[in-house]
Amino acid sequence: MTPFLRVVGVGMRFGGLQALADVTFDVEKGSVVGLIGPNGSGKTTLMNVVSGVYKPTSGSVQFAGRTIADVPTYNVCKLGIARTFQIVKPFVNLSVRENVAVGAMYGREGSHRSTRASFERAQELLEVVGLARVADRQAADLTIPDRKRLEVAKALALDPEVLLLDEVMAGLNATEVDEALQLLRDVNARGVTLIVVEHLMKAIMSISTTVVVLAEGKKIAQGQPREVVASPAVVEAYLGSRFAKRQGQLEEMRRQAEEAGAASHGESA
Amino acid sequence: MPAASTGTLLRKVGFGGITGNRTVFFIMCGVLVAMLGIPALHNGYYENLFRGILMFSTLSMGWNIIGGYTGYVSFGNVVYFGIGAYTSAALWQHFHQLNLLLAIVVGAIIAALMALILGIPILRLKGPYFGIATLGTALATQEIISNIDWLGGGSGFPVHQIDNFSLYYYAMWGVCAVSLAATYAIGRSKFGYALVAIRENEEAAAILGVDPTRTKVQAWMISAMMAASAGAVFAAANGFIDPPTAFASDTNIFPIVMAILGGAGTAAGPLVGAFVLTAINETLWGHFPQIHTLFFGAVIVLVVLFLPRGVLWLLNVRGGWRGLVNSLGAYRV
Repeated sequence: MTPFLRVVGVGMRFGGLQALADVTFDVEKGSVVGLIGPNGSGKTTLMNVVSGVYKPTSGSVQFAGRTIADVPTYNVCKLGIARTFQIVKPFVNLSVRENVAVGAMYGREGSHRSTRASFERAQELLEVVGLARVADRQAADLTIPDRKRLEVAKALALDPEVLLLDEVMAGLNATEVDEALQLLRDVNARGVTLIVVEHLMKAIMSISTTVVVLAEGKKIAQGQPREVVASPAVVEAYLGSRFAKRQGQLEEMRRQAEEAGAASHGESA
Repeated sequence: MPAASTGTLLRKVGFGGITGNRTVFFIMCGVLVAMLGIPALHNGYYENLFRGILMFSTLSMGWNIIGGYTGYVSFGNVVYFGIGAYTSAALWQHFHQLNLLLAIVVGAIIAALMALILGIPILRLKGPYFGIATLGTALATQEIISNIDWLGGGSGFPVHQIDNFSLYYYAMWGVCAVSLAATYAIGRSKFGYALVAIRENEEAAAILGVDPTRTKVQAWMISAMMAASAGAVFAAANGFIDPPTAFASDTNIFPIVMAILGGAGTAAGPLVGAFVLTAINETLWGHFPQIHTLFFGAVIVLVVLFLPRGVLWLLNVRGGWRGLVNSLGAYRV
């Protein structure tokens, strides 16, 4: 297990806003890194830096011996880094299969794939993500959960070593979340390293091998999911007040319910 | 989701895939083959009329590559038509060459180089800004040519004509057929999907490994080569070339209207559009010789209003247009 993707002192400034400040962590091959933090903590900005969409104002991202900022955005996928967009970007006038085929044509393995082979690869991936039933429909007609699936399929079509997933589970119901988690585990089992941004704590805790916590653009914790949740800095910055309050309310309700139950039992007896 | 409703509408009116409706394409191939028989009628009017249709089809197919497939609405493709026309004229005037094939090849190469030089800076612009910049190149090129004495300056120069006039018809048919075949091949290639991906969402295309600048410049070079081929044959058939003839605004605008009318981003759309628009033009000219231009303008407006797939396509292609219209509305201009 050698670190093969390194985020080194990354800072990103937009005018007067410091979106990221000195974020450093290593990603090991085959791991699943969960990236969490409150709204506006810089998660999507970090995804944009790692995928080469933004050039960081300080620090760098190193992958396969290269600095991502030195590689044009369209060549990042050829190094082996693929991503999904939180705000999905389907090619609305193309069919679902064509959307995925474009990735298969121009991704890491694209140069030695014919148009036809690209379409066959696209079809395989649509079966993997569960979109085979709508392969010939226009992407414009897809529901939001299906659009999220399409984003994943397009990213997988690039044959990535590292897959960045930006909130692919947002808007899914409980069953769909379980399906999505199973899909990500399958992808990871094939040797693809995952960096997952997600708001659903339960999902991220169950899939991640390492969790990195951002708050106001800074890394405030890193470690195994259980350790991170217990970390006082995280509880204070992110989970703290809300979880504490909710747990307190739950305790209160449970006690009231028990009292009421005991009272009614008493009456009926 | 406005994008979803637009997409649904586009599919209902027959858009889909990147070649377009296969049946329409093969019907138009048949029509094109049938057009080989026109010179056998020995009717000068028909030969001129159909040579015009072939010329405008070729120009429209050229525009379709950059405007229809790639989504960059160019108002400057007449530059390349003019380059082709002047290549043909200059080859006769200065080198006494009458070889049409040579004129087409040289014209296409010069036009492609010009598209490369202009495209690298201009294709970084999007939506209306790209359109305005291309219009600028059209106006500038006409002015520049008007001031080059070697190219006949403002008064132009004659192009020697051969006796077998039908040769020009067959030459125009040839460039049209090659352009149609090229468009069809592009529609079935990886390159074609890169163009459409750029039109649909340039950022998403780049993330999927498509190099946007390189791809767009290549598209414009192909577009320019088609326009220049038509120009080279036109100059020879016309027998005379000067800046207003080579860079006429009709030659610039009609191909765009034709592509939209027939179906931008489909292989056979420009050919369909060229037939329909020419038919409308000829009918109006026959019935209202005095004011046919007025009616023709009105027809174009009505087409755009009531056959909105063209306009919707453009709106869909570049969010910038929608943004422009919205902002105009907001200021109540």
